[in-house]
Amino acid sequence: MWKLTRRGLWNHKRRLISTSLAVVLGVAFLTATLTLGDTMRGGIDQLLEHGNAETDVVVRNATKYGSDEMVERGRLDGGLVAELTELDGVAVAAPSIEGFAQIEASDGDPIGGNGPPTLAGNWIDDPRLNPFEVVEGRAPAADGEVVIDRRSARLGDLHVGDHTTLRTPDPLDVEIVGIAKFGSVDSIAGASFVAFTNDQARDVLVGGADEVSSILVMGDDGISPERLRSTVASALPSEAEALTGDEIIAETQDDIEADFLGFFEMFLLMFAGVALLVATFSIHNTFSILVAQRTRESALLRAIGASRAQVLRSICAEGLAVGVVASGIGLGAGIGLGYGLRALIESFGVELPNAGLVVTTSTIVAALVMGVVVTFLASVTPAIKGSRVAPLAALRENAIDRSGASKWRAAFGALALGGGIALTITAVTNSAIMDVGSALGRAGLGALATLVGAVALGPVVARPASALLGSPLAVFAGSGRLARRNAMRNPRRTSGSASALMVGTAVVALFTTVGASIKASVGEVVEQAFSGDLVIVDESFSGAGLSPLLADELAALPEVDNTATMTNGVVSIDGEDAFPTVVDPDRLASVFDFDESSGKVAELQSGQIAVSDVYAADHALTRGSQLTFDYADGASQAVVVDAVFRGGEIAGDMVMTRADWAPHATRPTDVAVLVDLADGVSLDAGQAAVQTVADRLSAPEPQTSEEYIDSVGADVDQMLALVYGLLGLAVLIALMGIANTLSLSIHERTRELGLLRAVGQTRRQLRSTVRWEAVIVAIFGTIGGLALGTFLGWGLIEAIAAQEGFGSFALPVVPLAAILALAAAAGVVAAVRPARRAAKLDILSAIATD
Amino acid sequence: MAARVEHAVKTYGRGTTEVLALDDVTVGIPAGAFTAVMGPSGSGKSTLMHCLAGLDTLTSGSVHIGDVDLAKLSDRKLTKLRGERVGFVFQAFNLLPTLTAAENITLPMDLAGRKPDRAWLRTVIDTVGLGDRLHHRPSELSGGQQQRVAVARALAGRPAVIFADEPTGNLDSRSGGEILAFLRRAVDEFSQTIVMVTHDPGAASYADTVLFLADGRIVDEMDRPTAPRVLDRIKAFGS
Repeated sequence: MWKLTRRGLWNHKRRLISTSLAVVLGVAFLTATLTLGDTMRGGIDQLLEHGNAETDVVVRNATKYGSDEMVERGRLDGGLVAELTELDGVAVAAPSIEGFAQIEASDGDPIGGNGPPTLAGNWIDDPRLNPFEVVEGRAPAADGEVVIDRRSARLGDLHVGDHTTLRTPDPLDVEIVGIAKFGSVDSIAGASFVAFTNDQARDVLVGGADEVSSILVMGDDGISPERLRSTVASALPSEAEALTGDEIIAETQDDIEADFLGFFEMFLLMFAGVALLVATFSIHNTFSILVAQRTRESALLRAIGASRAQVLRSICAEGLAVGVVASGIGLGAGIGLGYGLRALIESFGVELPNAGLVVTTSTIVAALVMGVVVTFLASVTPAIKGSRVAPLAALRENAIDRSGASKWRAAFGALALGGGIALTITAVTNSAIMDVGSALGRAGLGALATLVGAVALGPVVARPASALLGSPLAVFAGSGRLARRNAMRNPRRTSGSASALMVGTAVVALFTTVGASIKASVGEVVEQAFSGDLVIVDESFSGAGLSPLLADELAALPEVDNTATMTNGVVSIDGEDAFPTVVDPDRLASVFDFDESSGKVAELQSGQIAVSDVYAADHALTRGSQLTFDYADGASQAVVVDAVFRGGEIAGDMVMTRADWAPHATRPTDVAVLVDLADGVSLDAGQAAVQTVADRLSAPEPQTSEEYIDSVGADVDQMLALVYGLLGLAVLIALMGIANTLSLSIHERTRELGLLRAVGQTRRQLRSTVRWEAVIVAIFGTIGGLALGTFLGWGLIEAIAAQEGFGSFALPVVPLAAILALAAAAGVVAAVRPARRAAKLDILSAIATD
Repeated sequence: MAARVEHAVKTYGRGTTEVLALDDVTVGIPAGAFTAVMGPSGSGKSTLMHCLAGLDTLTSGSVHIGDVDLAKLSDRKLTKLRGERVGFVFQAFNLLPTLTAAENITLPMDLAGRKPDRAWLRTVIDTVGLGDRLHHRPSELSGGQQQRVAVARALAGRPAVIFADEPTGNLDSRSGGEILAFLRRAVDEFSQTIVMVTHDPGAASYADTVLFLADGRIVDEMDRPTAPRVLDRIKAFGS
């Protein structure tokens, strides 16, 4: 029997190779993702360890509100540094002052800002506590002197002795006196860094107060970090805490994992999962066909005495062999791909130490196990079916197989699909009555049931759907009509290759729909709420923000009537983080429509806040409710809700006054400046005037509301492009599945094709028959996928809207139509090889009677 | 003459494995007549038919259907010619399983983009007696009915020649007799030219002329054959 399995593998090697390709691609994607994640993790760990190499204990303020980019941590009194130095066991204690600043390159453009942060700090004189090391020039010794990282120097074409401008965000002229590297690399994972003297860091980064972000402590020889920590901790005021270097590393690793790496990896893994799912469908279909084609062989084996179990084992062994070989190749390809991705990420500016790739045992095991399990599972049901072949079936001609459309299947599929749709719809429409938080969860469950139902119903609808889709082709009696009949003849097979594509396009359509809805929602909201003429928004991730001078200088322009600013605050309310938008109420209200349901945002005074209707409902607040704000610097303030507004999409859940926020802000920056032009000033003239001020203050370009909507749309499009790229693999696998199925069908129809050629079908007609069949299958799968994806996208958007009170569904007709057209074209491409092979068929050998 | 071959030579393989399937055959197929081709396995009768029908090409020599020299045709033109001027009835697997009987009958015309002659189609269908089975698929028809559809398809386009390759090989004697009777009627009533390859003397007796092949040559010819005479002749070769 094993000999037979081996022979079987060998005889079908060509088909098996194309099947394996689906597994190879899926496993390669998975391997690359895991490897890249581990490599980045390894690189970041190395950076962290270098950064804290000789720091035994770090002292910092224990109060921290917010997460991700919006973090406010309290600071420490500068006098604490001297106190700690006095302690027994402490060798050195150095202050660390941290903030953000963007460095302008020699051509005046800012370096970085759209990825890694743009860090700024004080130059720590003790080289044991300073992870940076000057490689050229010297440390800063006076105001106006800075050291920058070597990567920024290289990118910005900056040299020792050059003068440049820092955006802090107020422009600050400095002289570069030194260039530093970070351990073995030029920067901290691509982040730019500029270091001042302690005094200037204090002025620029913490507003001149004698405060520090943290204190780095090194112990005397022979004292353990743990002992040093307890010594230091006992001397600290209540608001401060002490951590060992290792604890800081672990905490930072966890933060990076939670904020970025974990998300990044999950994001990629999701697409690897889609690719593997699609591969499963493809492999399952191929094996089903192979088994069907070998019915005679299996029946013969049974007739000459092979047991059912032997036949089953033989087919399963084939699946297992394909899985093992393909996963092995996929693993190798994935590691290669990992190198490519690493290089790609580095080209975006994320610089990692050590040039290699981290391939862990768990990656190898996960990739191999996934590949083998997926292939094996996909081959099990065809194997069982194959083993059930009755010995007598050997003589039956198996030209048309309608077995797909069983009543049981139709009932189950209809139930799952109907139930899934109903669950999704009620989840998003009834959520007002039920628990809002579960809307997304139930929509997700509904989505899963819908998908299962759609896949189960595939073979039931494949015949009528192919009949309908193919009906325009009936005019081509010599090719199109035959193609239509071929697509109809074996619904299980047609739906098998179509459902792989359906899953792929469903995810594409889901993202397309969600992307379009987000764009439309943002556009709608901006148009509704923003009544000013121009807006300047800090859209970078650098953390630097806009200069607070900008709003005032713009307001002074004769072309400008009024300006208003928005910035982000972070407070804690009863232990829950909140992110109020900080505004000048009277100024913002004139360019922004808050659509209040009670009170007036424009009339907010110090000690008063406004909340969105959604936030008010969630927290049972009304006008007059009292709250306590805890600030990161330790201060507390009682505030009263004085207005409730509907326009929470841009203004956020909560609005507070600048007067209340300013005393607690690390340093004053703005996130957005809204500009209302004076009457009679044209938009062009106004924009030009604003632009000159913006340039002088190193701010981004002023945008009209349309331009702003476009720029948000462009961000969404960029994200979609990335997603499409990642989904491309799954779609490619699905198309290969269609090609593979066609090739197998053609092999099976050899005699039919011979007959057709004999009675006058030209090669061209034969090719177009194959092509049309592929197009029907591709369009069938794509329409299913589009319907499914659009519906699920609608469900997701509505569920989000129910939960967040933001977002409205938009149907992206043009992109969806484009996807359908692309699918039809892809069907043509998938058919190229099978069609060519069919056309090459030798008529005589096809019609020869045996 | 509806079709003819001159000095037809066909070899398969090369060197020591070379097989001579046709050895300088020259023969004409008279128009409006029913010609049977007989011979033992490997005598070259199928090769002769395939070459005459434009399904295979000669190693040397020439083939004409009507006035058309097949050697000069491209694959595309040859395919068109098969569709328009040649009809086929094979031993088995004559029909496309996805098409109904009616669609199978008009398939060559559909492929060529020609409109079938309705009146003629009805005559053909009546002749083979398929009226009530036209919208059935091949899998729903008996073997005899399937072959009748194949005969109707061959007749429907009024081709210059119909080639029938063991058309009764898979049928019981009653169904086989019906098929042969239809072919005979087609010759008698519509002056259809038919070439039939067979090894059954009974089938050959329906023909006007029988050509006997052995070792790639035409070794004999018999007009107005009867089954016993044909059988005797075959026995004579066998010795």
